[in-house]
Amino acid sequence: MSVAISISDLVKTFGTTRALDGLELEVATGEVHGYLGPNGAGKSVTIRVLLGLLRADSGTATLLGGDPWRDAVELHRRLAYVPGDVNLWPNLTGGEIIDLLSRLRGGVDEGRRDDLIERLALDPRKKARTYSKGNRQKVALIAALASNVELMLLDEPTSGLDPLMETVFQECIIEATREGRTVLLSSHILAEVEKLCDRVTIIRRGRAVQSGTLAELRYLTRTSITVATEQPIVGLESIDGVHNVSSDDGHVRFDVDGRSLDQVVRTVSQFGVRSLVSQPPTLEELFLRHYGDELEAANGATGRDESVQGG
Amino acid sequence: MTALVDSARPVDVGGPDAGAASTAGTRQLLRLIARRDRFRILLWLGGIVGLVAATAASITGLYSAQADLDRYAELVRGNAALIVQSGPGYGLQDPAVPATTGAVVMNEVAIWTVVAVALMSLFMTVRHTRTEEETERAETVRALPVGRHSELTAALVATGVTNVLVTFGVVVTLLAYDLEPVGSIAFGLALIGSGAVFAAVAAVAAQVAGGSRAALGLGGVVLGASFVLRAVGDVGNGVLSWLSPIGWAQAIRAYADERWWVLLLPAAATAALLVVAFELQARRDLGAGLMPERPGPSVASPRLSSTIGLAVRLQRASVISWTVAVALFAFLYGVVADQAESILEDNPEMEDFFAQLGEGSVTDAFLATATLILALLATGFTISSVLRARAEEVGGRAESLLATPTSRERWAGGHVTVSIVGTTIMLLVAGASEGFGLALVSGDREWIPRLIGATLVMVPAMLVTGGVAMVAYGLSARLAMAAWGYYAFTLVVGMLGALLDLPQWALNLSPFEHVPAIPSEPMDWVPVIVLVALAGALFATGLTAFRRRDMS
Repeated sequence: MSVAISISDLVKTFGTTRALDGLELEVATGEVHGYLGPNGAGKSVTIRVLLGLLRADSGTATLLGGDPWRDAVELHRRLAYVPGDVNLWPNLTGGEIIDLLSRLRGGVDEGRRDDLIERLALDPRKKARTYSKGNRQKVALIAALASNVELMLLDEPTSGLDPLMETVFQECIIEATREGRTVLLSSHILAEVEKLCDRVTIIRRGRAVQSGTLAELRYLTRTSITVATEQPIVGLESIDGVHNVSSDDGHVRFDVDGRSLDQVVRTVSQFGVRSLVSQPPTLEELFLRHYGDELEAANGATGRDESVQGG
Repeated sequence: MTALVDSARPVDVGGPDAGAASTAGTRQLLRLIARRDRFRILLWLGGIVGLVAATAASITGLYSAQADLDRYAELVRGNAALIVQSGPGYGLQDPAVPATTGAVVMNEVAIWTVVAVALMSLFMTVRHTRTEEETERAETVRALPVGRHSELTAALVATGVTNVLVTFGVVVTLLAYDLEPVGSIAFGLALIGSGAVFAAVAAVAAQVAGGSRAALGLGGVVLGASFVLRAVGDVGNGVLSWLSPIGWAQAIRAYADERWWVLLLPAAATAALLVVAFELQARRDLGAGLMPERPGPSVASPRLSSTIGLAVRLQRASVISWTVAVALFAFLYGVVADQAESILEDNPEMEDFFAQLGEGSVTDAFLATATLILALLATGFTISSVLRARAEEVGGRAESLLATPTSRERWAGGHVTVSIVGTTIMLLVAGASEGFGLALVSGDREWIPRLIGATLVMVPAMLVTGGVAMVAYGLSARLAMAAWGYYAFTLVVGMLGALLDLPQWALNLSPFEHVPAIPSEPMDWVPVIVLVALAGALFATGLTAFRRRDMS
């Protein structure tokens, strides 16, 4: 397995804040790697180090076989980047910006550019100052997707897109991987990562807390279910893949792995379902559920994190 | 049912103006401005009061006897060259009336104080209106229970309060130097008046323009026009000066038989402009100008294929407007330069005065001074053009470019190149324009190449200040703004250096002190070559430092 990105024991501090605190990350060539973490976890800092915009304090980072700080210009010929917060030149049109960025990267594939503009429904003749956040993001995405690069670094690329455009984006990423490109996709939206990614790394406070295939991180795909039934439910705990069962005032709450969902629904329906709410767990919930103890211990030890709240 | 009807309030969908609610939340916004601008306000306050204090100190020191003051008045009287720069010199015009310290201080510093207050008001008003609208912050604020007019009102109140603070500092300073209270208060009121007019001009510009840069540009054009109108008016019959807010500030005649009714002019102009601004704002969408946005090209032209191409595109409008403004100013100097000599023919005192400035004729001395002032003003472009890279970085527009195979040196170098080339073109045009103005009145076309030479000699010194800006920016984006402090220093040394009695080593820190004052001095290549080398070294150092730091 050849490696596109390899980060080991990376540290980056800003004053007294340790934005990256011994980060480990490995992205194989040709995969779509999900980079998950709550806001402020250090996702963008990682990408900015990989782009040579920030210099790491210690540790090693290798990008496409080169040093992201020293070989920045050479490496950038082979990658494209979509920032999480796309800022454009207010008096240039979207079309002009797409062309500028593509030309700087080494040329425009006009057919591809026009195809993407059509699919993402962007009006390239409008001045950037009139674009919404979603449209600004489309400009950066089109410029990245239209270029012929090995690696794409995407920092929460769909945070401003509507669901329809998100689907188009996902198609584009799937096409890109078919062409053999590597994608690092940072996100805090679990569903997006689930659809696209082969492997996932979860980062929290500058550290990778878990990394693996989605199957390995099966708990990520669990569904939270709250159900009220005519008769009390029995036998739920014994089903393989059901976790965290609790009951409160006739409502039963539990999490269930995707593969066990069918069996759970069959079991529950025997007791006469009055209401059933199912939802994917939010990332924060997952963190709290799975790392809650660890975090609390960490808090006690270092007193560093103020953002974790009980719930 | 009745309860429902009772509790239902009529929903005010708002006509162009939705009544008193349209300024809701102004108080809180004012607090926000105070928090955000506290250091800026202190800097303006310190700068402007410091300028007045330094001038008053040096005048009271240099001209302690009545005979000295009268000698000064004699030098100034009817001297077109000085009038263009300082104004009509009220209180110094009549040989029968003894000159006062107040009148001399006014002649030295009043116009620059007015210009500084005007600039402060323009910047501050636009910063809290149009600039905010360009960020997402304005939307966040407007989504709160904040009225449509609250931001503009808060910006204007904040600017007004800052004006009053600055004025208070200036008046106290003047009083501390024992100048007459009446004249000091008159000048203070004139400052508040011009600050108010330019805040109101900025308020209108913020509605009309399509963005903050355009709004500032529009305000700058009004300020420049005000300066030129009063310069032409003061040299001529004075009529045009009455069309200029700067002219009004001088027409109050502080320390020279004050005319209080003149204050009605800025008051009326401010009121009228504010009505226009609020009316326009009530009819305008957030973020939009009055001009509807036209669709642009869907494909970039071949020129937009490199970072230097982008830098040219981004700075084009600024280069053109600066060049036009500097050329107009230069033309005016050229036209009046010819009068400098004729006025001096029967005034041996003044001939002595100018003779100290250089070896050449009076016209030459005047032109050398004019060229220095043009160069000092145009240096504002040199620095802002280098610091355009900073604006791009802070605005988050650099990272997309730096994620392409573009090195940092190449990217920042694009803006540096525009600064160098733009500065050179600007001074070339200024020299030609000054020479053309003089050739027009004197019939001697030889002036055109001579004055082009004189202005071009200034370029290396300007580039040194640009290099200082690049070093500051290369070290950190925050530190970059220190370049404006250095610029202010070169301005003070250049315009008031001799007057302020600064030690020679301090004067030497300004590159303009080392440039030969052509045409009154002969060309000297040594300092020019040294300055070119120094500028090159500074740019190289700045770019190297920039490569090594984190991007913000």
